[in-house]
Amino acid sequence: MTADLLLNAIVAGLLLGGFYAAVTVGVSISFGMLDVVNIAHPAFIIVGSYIAYIVNSTFGLDPILTAIIVLPAFYLLGQAVYQVFYLSFEKRGEEALRGLAFFFGLLFITEVVLILVFGVDYRYVHATYIGPTWRIGFVDFPLRMLVPCLVSLVLVAGLQLYLSRTFIGRAIMAVAQDQQALRLLSVDPIRIKRIAFGISIATAALAGAFLIVIQPVEPSVGREYIGRVFAICVLGGMGSLPGTVIAAMLLGIIESFTATFYGPSWAPAVAFGFLLVTLAVRPAGLLGR
Amino acid sequence: MRNWVFLIVALIVAAAVFTAALLLRNDYYLFAGYVVLQYVVLATAWNILGGYCGYVNFGSAAFFAIGAYTTVALHKLGANPGRYLSDTPFEALGALFPLSLPTMIVLGAVISGAVGFAMGYLTLRLRGVFFAIATLAMAVVLQTVVINWDFVGGSRGAYIIGPQSITLGPVSLTNIQYLFLLMVLLVVFALWIARSIERSRMGLGFATIRDDEAAAEASGVPTLRLKLAATALSGALMGMAGAPLPYYIGYVEPAAAFGLPYAVNAIAMPMIGGTTSWAGPLIGAILLGTLQQVATVTISSVANLLIVGALLVAFVIAAPVGVVGLMQEFLRVAAPGRLNFRSVAVILIASYCFIVGILDIIFDLPALQAAFQLPLPQIVNSSAFWIGVSGILVSGLYMVSAYGLLKLQRWAPRIAVLALIVSIAGSAALMWLSPEPQKVGLRFAMIVIPLLAVVCLGNREVKKLYQSQPGPQSGSRPVPA
Repeated sequence: MTADLLLNAIVAGLLLGGFYAAVTVGVSISFGMLDVVNIAHPAFIIVGSYIAYIVNSTFGLDPILTAIIVLPAFYLLGQAVYQVFYLSFEKRGEEALRGLAFFFGLLFITEVVLILVFGVDYRYVHATYIGPTWRIGFVDFPLRMLVPCLVSLVLVAGLQLYLSRTFIGRAIMAVAQDQQALRLLSVDPIRIKRIAFGISIATAALAGAFLIVIQPVEPSVGREYIGRVFAICVLGGMGSLPGTVIAAMLLGIIESFTATFYGPSWAPAVAFGFLLVTLAVRPAGLLGR
Repeated sequence: MRNWVFLIVALIVAAAVFTAALLLRNDYYLFAGYVVLQYVVLATAWNILGGYCGYVNFGSAAFFAIGAYTTVALHKLGANPGRYLSDTPFEALGALFPLSLPTMIVLGAVISGAVGFAMGYLTLRLRGVFFAIATLAMAVVLQTVVINWDFVGGSRGAYIIGPQSITLGPVSLTNIQYLFLLMVLLVVFALWIARSIERSRMGLGFATIRDDEAAAEASGVPTLRLKLAATALSGALMGMAGAPLPYYIGYVEPAAAFGLPYAVNAIAMPMIGGTTSWAGPLIGAILLGTLQQVATVTISSVANLLIVGALLVAFVIAAPVGVVGLMQEFLRVAAPGRLNFRSVAVILIASYCFIVGILDIIFDLPALQAAFQLPLPQIVNSSAFWIGVSGILVSGLYMVSAYGLLKLQRWAPRIAVLALIVSIAGSAALMWLSPEPQKVGLRFAMIVIPLLAVVCLGNREVKKLYQSQPGPQSGSRPVPA
């Protein structure tokens, strides 16, 4: 094991981790804060990827810019999904088993529809930053990893500011702890949850654009991310955004080490093994309460 | 019914099914029937943990694949025990090989049961959600392990050549007949286990976990032990369902053995059938399994998964009690005490509407698919598009009326009559437009049955049933006075 290989693996892991943070931040909000087990989140990410692909291949627009433009649409979509979820499950108090099955069905339907429309071919996008690599000393910074990583860190930082500084942001943090207290402040907890879920799905649009910048995408790629996002979310302490970033970086480094030193075919198992170990040993996560 | 009586009845039914399948003298039915039966086992197994305990398992495909890969590994060992076992501590075991398929099924069950137990031990002390996520995770870990395990073929897959025929005492069965027989017996076994659990102390324990785990724990129910028993049992049955798979398809590869269809069907079938009793997964699996066999012929296998997914979402939102639950609730109101003619008639009509509604979708999707192959402006002008759209509208009408009839909605009979009349007109038109001799019988039935149904719905007793119900806003069960 040489020093440059090691350092490169660490940097690659950190860059990957930045991207994972963007993928997970939505689940940290929906699962960690709202207690809505949205296992269909990766499906929304893939939808984001495909939108970026369509716009990029027809108009040549930058994928990340496209994602920022469609953010409001994803926000509204998220609100609609939450409304359906609330009316059919949360209100009746049956969200545990049936809610899971509902999101599983959504995940599945999205994947199948994408397969029917686009087939199982891998799709990719064009952008100026896909391809070139910056070299500092003997450490590589591939731009297609660096750009998503930086934008993603900006996104998470922005969300953290929003959640801790604005009234609605604080209400979102509070809804996880005490809905009744929110009612006393004459805030409708359902409205707050709807907004939060909308934000969580909106982040999927960006994460989807990052995904298709980093790697070619086909409809079933999303499934690989279910284990990853929940592993990161749980390890990060369920709903703590700084925890999410740290856990994402950790998982990124571990995966990059596995890929470098054992071969990439083992990489998917690492994330899931990681999740199993986390659940068995420290379910409260790194920064958990 | 006592459990052993149930077992005997089930065995008699199984023997009848097997004989009937042999009498058809067409291997296609055996191949198709095998898949349906395999789904019955899988759905029943899922329901032991998911339905009775309320813990969702998304990793059914993994347990299923463990069974399949146990068979692959044992088969390979059995083909050449001297090569793989000599000079190892297991050399003496070489004399036992090659193993018979029933032995492999038992071993597959033991291994996947053990994996289920270990899984449960790691995650079941947490909230149920974590267990669900962990099962998803486990499926991917195991798939990666198998992909990297060369002995069972890795990502290339493994070919398994089964015997041409098997001699059981006086009779000789072909491979598929033998597999079908084994699967029928596994179905009986799984149903018997599920039903015995339901009526035992253990089943009561499971129900308390499902309803309120904290309260159960507080009143002294050994929740962890029960949950571990449920995961091990459910995993073992899933492994059993998967163990004969290599002999059935002849070629096993990780992507197929761990395929999403198994995981989705294992959840969708009990959810659609009803999760509270053994009959739910059975009905759900027969319904959805048969449907998928039809749909695989008429449209692509991807599209039939879409139908399964859509049905799953529709049922968890609109009818969380499943088909069995809907009928039970209906009977509780429409025929309190004992069965009467009108309630049976309504149930039959609703079932007809439901099944025809689904079949309609299956036969209309190809038309739509063909229409969407055309360039955009021509789609709206093509007849395939309009046939597809109108067919899907009619099937929607059918589904809504089936649901409304069972839910005792005031509007239901009118919608149902509308749907039935539209389809009578449609069938008559088709009979006139394309008088294919081999389809006359079917078309004739498609006219006579709806006519009978319309007459039934016009019956005074049936009308009374719907008029005495409260309006749509409180459409569920009326509160007993």
